[in-house]
Amino acid sequence: MLLPMMKIQIVGSKEKLEATLRAIQRLGTVQIQDVAEHGQAQVLPKLSLDANALQRRDQINPLVARLGSFAAILPPGIKAPELSRAYEAASLKSTEELITEAQRVVGELGPKSQALALRGDELQAEQASLTRYQATLRKVAPLAAEIPRLAGYETAALLIERRSAAVLDLVRQKLSEIIGDNFELSARHVDEQTTAAIVVFPTEQSARVNALFGRENITPLRLPQELAGASLTDTLATMAQRLAEIPRDIARVEDELRQLAASWGSSVTVLRAALSDRSAQMEVVGMAGGTRYTFVLVGWMPRRDLGDLNEALQRQAGPEVLVGEIKVGREEMKQVPVALANLPPVRPFEFLVALVALPRYGALDPTPLMALFMPLFFGLILGDIAHGLLLLLCAVVVLRLCRNQTYRSLAQVMVLCGFWSLLFGFLFGEFLGALGRQLFGLKPLWMERSGATIKSLFAFALALGAAHVLLGFALGIWEALRVKARKVLSERLGKFIALIAVFWLVAVVAGTLPRDLTTPGIATLIVGIALLSIPMGWLGGILGPIETLGLISNVLSYLRLAAIGLSSFYLAEVANRLYGVATNVAVGAIVAGLLHALNLAIGIVSATIQSLRLHYVEFFSKFYESGGAPFRPFKQSGV
Amino acid sequence: MDINTGLLAIGAGLAVGLAALATGWAQGRIGSAGAGALTEKPELFGSILIMLALPETLVILGFAVAAMIILLLKAGG
Repeated sequence: MLLPMMKIQIVGSKEKLEATLRAIQRLGTVQIQDVAEHGQAQVLPKLSLDANALQRRDQINPLVARLGSFAAILPPGIKAPELSRAYEAASLKSTEELITEAQRVVGELGPKSQALALRGDELQAEQASLTRYQATLRKVAPLAAEIPRLAGYETAALLIERRSAAVLDLVRQKLSEIIGDNFELSARHVDEQTTAAIVVFPTEQSARVNALFGRENITPLRLPQELAGASLTDTLATMAQRLAEIPRDIARVEDELRQLAASWGSSVTVLRAALSDRSAQMEVVGMAGGTRYTFVLVGWMPRRDLGDLNEALQRQAGPEVLVGEIKVGREEMKQVPVALANLPPVRPFEFLVALVALPRYGALDPTPLMALFMPLFFGLILGDIAHGLLLLLCAVVVLRLCRNQTYRSLAQVMVLCGFWSLLFGFLFGEFLGALGRQLFGLKPLWMERSGATIKSLFAFALALGAAHVLLGFALGIWEALRVKARKVLSERLGKFIALIAVFWLVAVVAGTLPRDLTTPGIATLIVGIALLSIPMGWLGGILGPIETLGLISNVLSYLRLAAIGLSSFYLAEVANRLYGVATNVAVGAIVAGLLHALNLAIGIVSATIQSLRLHYVEFFSKFYESGGAPFRPFKQSGV
Repeated sequence: MDINTGLLAIGAGLAVGLAALATGWAQGRIGSAGAGALTEKPELFGSILIMLALPETLVILGFAVAAMIILLLKAGG
């Protein structure tokens, strides 16, 4: 159901505005509306922040950003109950007190945490860089071992693509031209793509040799500055030692960050949230109107919370602040924010409804009907005892382990879907297809989804579809009557009657109803088409019969409940037969198991999508009035 | 099995097969456009899901025709 809302006006003396906003924010049940958007006749001059408040806002925003950056650096690990108590205490402090405290925290924590974060980043960068150098140097190392280390000589390592190895002859020739025979060049293929080379030459020739490398576009291996000048073997040993030390250094930095988080994390989180709240309060001041001595706030709230708001304002702001109801005109109804409030078993389905669009305020909330039909459709498609049990098991595991509200809602939906799958599994006598029948003589309680009874399954799916669509029309008719929309009423009533007449005539053709009822059936159909054609004007004569055909296709669409279920059953049968024909039992079991797993995955996805589609397209289009704006109360950011 | 039965079976296969091809073609086009729209406006997920599911009625109608043919086959022979 939709929560009944009311529009309110809060009026008080200007000096109580801050206390009023704080009370409203703590309560978290009022959505503030800009006074400028509230009815032309009642537009008041808008309030703005005074110089002191502007100065406080300019202090708060950078502080919130700094505290946010600390929160990103410091690891989590603060217990929720303590945090909530600290947040509660902070929300009672004055803005000046919060700013002073936040400045102290930023001043003390800033240099420490930033130095540690920087050190951590440097260590990780060094680790990545050394790992990269180590891989390259290892390729050159075997060559280096062959070359004696001589005083007054320099070593340069070159890595060249193997296919361009001929360039080394050119280097040798050029070196001879520059420094004669006073050098050594040794090369070796180190892997499939790389040739490594080492050049040893007198230190005094270093500039000329490097100039040669530059001219020939050869880049010698550059080592990190702290390792330059050492031999390759020494460099590799130093690198290995440093790489062993770095993880310990990183762990030390993380330890220090954890200690900082233990001492400061709570203050950072609480101050950040409390200051964000104050900043939000200042934003709301810009939405208020007022005179020299008074303020006026306009907003929406659930009617049931009015008593709590009055009490909170009396307690926290005093008797100078009053709340009054504003009558909502018909043209304003579209602006009323929408909050859904269903019973706990139905609540998880609210997000499935909101996935398309929230209902308009005052319209029917389809969530309870979706909670009834969606799992039923799902179960009819995926009717299998094994699949139902697995689904229930997964949903229960998610509910026990997961705290994320979206996943929990999905799991709650899946519990109901799993229950219906299990139930239809017993009705169809299916356990991984027909495996249950073969292994332990499972008998269907209702009918098998194979052989001659398929016809009954189709008939059941169509009957369910007809009932669902007719229910949609019945709700649509009730809605049209309620808002006195005559044209809509005529169209929906016409479709309702035409659909009944179509089934009537089908029953006559099938011999279920006597042939004498043909003429009354046709007459009913004509009445239905005439009613649904009225709102279409002169086009109704053409569009009316086409719309009737569309209604038949709406009902036929429910055949998917049987068709997709059948495909799931036959895929399970393919898996079972593959196991039967496999020469190796283990291979057969693995292949069959994988196919069953695939079948379950496809089954869950397609059963969910198809059940939702039948609701969104076939059911909702008969009555659903969407377009509600979600209710967004002004509330604390929380910790 | 006589030639008429075979032709009816081929007809059933064509009814569902061609409808599935048409659905696939339509869903492919809607899906690619929908994926593009979702990157810019993730809140359109529900509407795009509906649009993506709309052409499936084609294959369900094809399936209905195929099922009727198969049932006709069984009734005949």
